[in-house]
Amino acid sequence: MASIRTLHILNKRPGHPAFKSCLSSLENQDALLLTENGVLALVDKGLTLEGCVYALSPDLKARAIPGDASVAQAIDYDEMVALTARAQRVISW
Amino acid sequence: MKTLVIMNQAPYGDWSGREALDMAFSLAAFDQPVALLFTGDGVNWLRREQEAAAISQKAVDRNLAAATIFGVTALYADQQSCHRFGLDQHTMIAGITLADTNAGLLGEYDHVISLS
Repeated sequence: MASIRTLHILNKRPGHPAFKSCLSSLENQDALLLTENGVLALVDKGLTLEGCVYALSPDLKARAIPGDASVAQAIDYDEMVALTARAQRVISW
Repeated sequence: MKTLVIMNQAPYGDWSGREALDMAFSLAAFDQPVALLFTGDGVNWLRREQEAAAISQKAVDRNLAAATIFGVTALYADQQSCHRFGLDQHTMIAGITLADTNAGLLGEYDHVISLS
């Protein structure tokens, strides 16, 4: 498993100001974890996500959003904890 | 006195979307003509097979499906927002009327309420 420099946890909907600032602060060895309203980014046609992207599966299920593995890897809460442990730094937006 | 309640909050992220729904249903319960317009992030309330138990919340698709029985006159969804979030008749719950919101839909209502 590649090490993660910064894990960005984003629970804001795509239209929220913090959403843009989070995306613009992503760097190559970083990872993005979409939770709560953040998972809407996976069905927003106005957006293309790049790099290492994860999404929390209970939030995907609640919103009936099909996980698209080519865009984001769906993980559960335990994997989320493991992700935060693996990252050198975590930012919650 | 016709009322239109605008649902533009993303589902489950906070409570304001659910509060707007409760308000609409209470208006309907008191025989006030009320309709709902889902727009922006709010159209995501309309996706089928939501399993909100996964985040220990209640799904709303059953209340929405029964909305007309409760007296809600119409459930509108903004076309552009549906397109943006990849929603169509197959992925949305039944009973939704697609609407072009800048075509004067709001003009038909005496009260337009948005809790965003």
